[in-house]
Formats: sequence, C-alpha cells, structure tokens
Amino acid sequence: MNSAPPSPAAPVRTPTDWQSPAMQRRIRHRYAAERRFRWLGLGAVSLSAAFLVFLLATMIGQGANGFLETRIALPIDLRAAKVDVPPARLAGPGGDLALAGAGLEGAVDAAANAAFPQQGGAAVLSDGAWLRVRDAVKRDPSLLSRPATIDVPVATDIDVALKGDGTPESEAIVSALRPRLSKGLNLSFFSGADATDPTRAGIWGALKGSLFTMLVTLALAFPVGVLSALYLEEYAPRNRWTDLIEVSINNLAAVPSIIFGLLGLAVFLNTFHMPRSAALVGGLTLALMTMPVIVIAGRNAIKGVPPSIRDAARGLGASPIQVVFHHVLPLALPGILTGTIIGMARALGETAPLLMIGMRAFIAAPPDKLTDPATALPVQIFLWSDEVAKGFVEKTSAAIIVLLAFLLAMNGIAIYLRNRFETRW
Amino acid sequence: MSRWVLALAAMLPLGAAGCVDQAAGGGAGSREQIRAVGSSTVYPFTTIAAEQYLANNPQARPPVVESTGTGAGMKLFCAGIGAAHPDIEDASRRMKRNEYDICVRNGVDGVLEVQIGIDGIAFAEARNGPKMALTPADIYRALAAAPGGRRNTARTWRDVNPALPAVPIQVYGPPSTSGTRDALAELILATGCEAVDPAMKAVRDHSPDAFNARCLRVREDGAYIDAGENDNLIVQKLQSNPNALGIFGYGYLEENARAVDGVPIGGVAPTYDTIASGAYPGARPLYIYVKKAHLRAIPGLRAFLRQYAQAWDRGGPLVKRGLIAAPAAIQQRSAAIVAGEIALDPAELK
Repeated sequence: MNSAPPSPAAPVRTPTDWQSPAMQRRIRHRYAAERRFRWLGLGAVSLSAAFLVFLLATMIGQGANGFLETRIALPIDLRAAKVDVPPARLAGPGGDLALAGAGLEGAVDAAANAAFPQQGGAAVLSDGAWLRVRDAVKRDPSLLSRPATIDVPVATDIDVALKGDGTPESEAIVSALRPRLSKGLNLSFFSGADATDPTRAGIWGALKGSLFTMLVTLALAFPVGVLSALYLEEYAPRNRWTDLIEVSINNLAAVPSIIFGLLGLAVFLNTFHMPRSAALVGGLTLALMTMPVIVIAGRNAIKGVPPSIRDAARGLGASPIQVVFHHVLPLALPGILTGTIIGMARALGETAPLLMIGMRAFIAAPPDKLTDPATALPVQIFLWSDEVAKGFVEKTSAAIIVLLAFLLAMNGIAIYLRNRFETRW
Repeated sequence: MSRWVLALAAMLPLGAAGCVDQAAGGGAGSREQIRAVGSSTVYPFTTIAAEQYLANNPQARPPVVESTGTGAGMKLFCAGIGAAHPDIEDASRRMKRNEYDICVRNGVDGVLEVQIGIDGIAFAEARNGPKMALTPADIYRALAAAPGGRRNTARTWRDVNPALPAVPIQVYGPPSTSGTRDALAELILATGCEAVDPAMKAVRDHSPDAFNARCLRVREDGAYIDAGENDNLIVQKLQSNPNALGIFGYGYLEENARAVDGVPIGGVAPTYDTIASGAYPGARPLYIYVKKAHLRAIPGLRAFLRQYAQAWDRGGPLVKRGLIAAPAAIQQRSAAIVAGEIALDPAELK
C-alpha cells in the first residue's frame, strides 16, 4: 500500500473508511479465512486422533481377552495316583524332571478323565495344564500327599467358546462345566515363549529377544552416531567430501528397511558367518538403520548450542576436547537423546530386516545369550497372525498391546529426558 | 556433567562385549540346537514335534523352526554341511532331482527322506457361497494361462462349464514360491490338462517345457489372486466375498469349518477320509529331509526324529492339528528310514 509508484504530485492521503461496504467485505473475508484455517487444523488433529482411538479401541477390545485365561477346577489326588517324589528332590534343580518322570502328566489326564468324562476328559484341559499342577506341587509339596482341587487352564477351543466365538460342541461343553470354570489373568503369557497351543503361548521370549536386539543396537548406534555427529559439526572442514558424507547420511536415513535386511544377510551371515536368527545379528542390522537417524538428530542438537558458549569456554582456556565434552555435549544431550529414542522406537517396530536374517523362527524358549536364536515382538505378531488356531487371534492383539506399551514407555522416556535436561537461552 | 562422559564410556564395553560374544558363538563351529527350515504347510507339525522334544528333554536347547516356503528352504538346506546350514528341510512336495544335484555339489550327499503324512490342497468357498462342484478340467480351463494353447479369456465359471453358475472367476491362492502352488499345478492342473487334451500325456514325456507352458502356467490377468503365504487372510477374503474361491491346506479348512465349506472336486469333497484314502484328487504327501552327516554332529537330532516318528499316528498330536496320517505301509517305511538312517536313493527323484 505504501509502495505507490513515485509520481511528481504528492500522494493524497485519505483515512481508511472502515465502514465502507468494500472494506467490511474484506474484513469478513479475512476473519472467514482465519476461521477456515483453524477448522482445517482442528479437523486434521481430530482425524489423526480418531485413527489412533480406533486402533487402540480395536486392539484393546480384541486383545484384552488375550491376557485372560479360562481355568477349570480340577479335583486331583496325587497320592492315589502314586506320583511320589521326595520333597528334597522337589526343591532341587531336578525337581521338574523328577515330577515328569513320576508320571505327573498322565495323572493329570487321568484326573480330568475321572472328573468330567462326558465332556471329553483330558481333552478339556490345555496341553500345559500339567505344568500348572507341577508348579503348584513345587510351591506346596503337601499336594502330593492329599486330595486337592487345582485351577488349571482349559483347552483353546473351550477358552474361545467361553469368550464368545466357539463351535456348537465347545459351547455345549462350556454350559455343562460352567460352575467349575473361572477366568483369571494369564501370567504364563508374560513368562512363556512361543508355543503351538495358544493357551501356552507367551510373549516373554519375543520381548526378551526385542530387548537383546535393542541393547545391541543402542550399544553400537549411540556411540558411533554421537561421535560422528560431533566430528562432523565440531571438527570436520567444510568441503566437497563432508558435503558428500552429509548427503549420504541423509540418504541412508531414508533407505527402506528391507535393504538393511539384505545387507545384514550378505555381510553378517554370509561373510562373517555369524549365527542365523541371533539377536546379535538383528541388533547389528538395526544399528545400521538407526545410526543415520542419530547422526542427523545429533548434528541438529549440536548446531543448536549457541557459539557464545564455545567462545566463552575457549576464552577461559579450555581445550577443544574440553569444550566439546564439558559444554557442547551436555547442552546438546536432550536433543541427541530424543533423536536416539525415536530412532530406537522405529527399530523396535521393524520387521522386514529381521525376516531376512532369520529372526522369524519358532523357538519354544526365551533366549539366554545374545547369540541364541531369538524372535522379536513385531515378528512374533506376524507369526501369530498366520497361525491356524482361533485362539491366536486374541494372542496377536495382546502382543500388539505389549508392543504399543513398550513403544509408549520409550517415547515417555524421550519426553521425560527432554524436559529434564532442556536448557533455554 | 562429566557423568554423561562416564555413561558414554560405559556404553563402549557393552559394544565390545557384543563382539566377544559373536566370536564365541559365530562361525562354523558347533551348534547346540536343531535347525529346521522350509514349507509353511509342514511348519506347524515340525513346531509341535519341537515342542514335545523340548518337553521330554528339558535340558536340550530349543529347536529353531523357520517357515520359508519349500523352495527357499531347499536352497538353504542344500547350501552345505556344517553348523551354519540347517539340519532339516520341511517340504510340502518331493525334492526335485536338480535340487538334489545342488545338494550333492555342495557336499550334502546323505539325505534321509521321511514322509510324515498327507495334506490335501482344498478348494473352499464361504458358507453362503454358490455351492460349486468342480472337476480338475474346470479348474484347468478357469485358471491356466493358456488352456488348449489359446490365451485364457474365461470371465465367469459358466464360460468354463455351462453347468456352473455365472459368477466371476476369483480364486485366492498361494504364491509361486509355495509348495501348495506346486501341488496345485501337479495334482489339479496337470490332471485337468490331460483330461481336456489327452495328447498332452505324450507331450509331458518328450517336451516337459511345452507341457509346463500349456498345462501348469497359472493365468496372471487377475482371476487368480496371489494371497501370499497367509492362509488366514484367504479365509477372511472368502467371508467378505462369497463368490470367490480359496486354495489352502486341508488343516485350515478343518479349523475354519464354521466359516468356509470345502468344494468337491470330481465329486469328492475334501474330508479326512477321502484325502487319507487318496480318493480326493488334491492329496499330496508331506516330507521332512534330514542331513545324515548332521545326525552325529548335532546333539539331539536323532531323538528329535524319533519324537517326530511317534507323533504322526492317527491318534497322535500332529493329526489333532490337521495332519492326515499316511497309510500304515508308508508309516512303517518312514519309521524304518528314521531307525536305520537309510539315505535317499537319488534315482527315485524326478
């Protein structure tokens, strides 16, 4: 408005007439545009919130049952069944073996056959029912010498029927046995590994595999990523080579994860002959994927430290390494940590590279070492979604809830660290 | 502030520890656990055997069972002898002669071939579907890329056979890497092709390539829909689209009997008894292949095989999970192979 073309005559200034219809229309348009923009933004937020709520609601709706198990009160007399193990052996490490050798599984099946002969006897119980009896006996050895009633998990079709989606036959069994049935938290889901029977399947094997994998990823990607970021920001000269490196790192951060899987397969398995399916190899592969994210986040955080801090430190006689480790790094750390945890969260949810290096196997026990064969949470979800048995549907959703909780915890830590160490200037 | 430096320093030995571990566990040294790869159809049965093996031998390391598909599994299995290569290959079809040759070239010569049972590839439709009844010839005319040497233009099942309803041809089935797909080609399409054109029988012997192109190639214009290795997904697709057919192993049909019905082929419905007796045309044997040289080297492999052999009877746990027990004569032969460690005679393979 002020940029009127220069003219010989002095511009005539008239005060703006806010009441004129043209001006009023303009004002209305401005306000309308403002409102429209606000509504659009609000709409975008509510749309993504609705998707999130839908995802969480379906997962929790379907998966909540996965954390529950149906138990049946099984009257059992182990003294009459002649399961006889001396209490001293029971407490020792050979206790499990001794009970198995004494025919506990057969005794449990016989007790079920006697207690509910019309409903199929032992077929009512889960494959893992005798393990529950075994644990009860180990807790309370007096069970071996007296009749008792022990709650044991039921077979998967009866479990599914009680939760509302069974076949007519299993519905009939449920209604016949209802007074003996009860629901409870499935603790073995949190302590067991993969199994072929949904009532025995547990998430701990996959969770532990994921923890091991993340540990290796963090141990490798964090130091290498932070040191690279420090070098590139604080020491490297700016020339064609560092530009090339910067472009490569940015590219690497955007490469699809399956390519890192192929790389891991070619390098770690085929060239270095590391063990297939091991959490170690999974961690190394995911570290390659996470490193560029940490480098980029780290460089931005280091750039954000004001030069005055460096100048002041140098002015007081600090050496370059003292400047970096006493001043720049601590101030940049919140940003670096946030970037790291976002990178780790992405690595936690990654399936494709793990499939390539064989971390999709059925393994019936949790891993003990980094080199043991292991699966990871997202792969376990993928495997269970492909299982035949109906009971695995809710286990799949339950595993997704565990994965989401794990992610939520990691992101929570990121926010906490950011707020805890953030400095404003 | 310097505690962060300490924390950083503490991370480094962790990385170093990883390296030490890798030196101890990697390489071609020994391996404590059994490794199996291969067919997704045999995978559930091998996992049950693995679970039972672990229950009976609590001290043993858990076996590792990977589902890669028969073809990809054969590549891993035949890549060599030693700790880096799997001990067992799950196969939903017989090993091919050229696969055996690759095995031998890589030093894998003694291989035990153990038939564990039978599976049927079942055609299924939703319970509210059009109640189809097909013959291998119908399926060949509907799904082959070039039935009778001309490009396949059939859009509805009525185009194929006037007795069938006029619903569009939509078949969800396994991908070409799957053993189930090989079985579809071998058992249904080849039979249908020879029924449509008896001259193809002779062609099969003197020029197998021409036979493959004419008889076994599946059309790629959208009528046959590759649904990946996920058979649960096919069941869901059938429920949402009652006009479609699905192809999967008999175990899935049995498990989802409330949602889908088996489609009779040649007048025979896929049931346990028709598949076990061989009356159903889509019946196929399932195998595991074991490296003889690994029986000594891998602890527990012999015990694992014995465990497997005990589990495949009619009342056994594998049958409970959808396997169809092999006839008694074949079971005895398989048990003898396991007990006597008799290697496969390559002259039997095609």
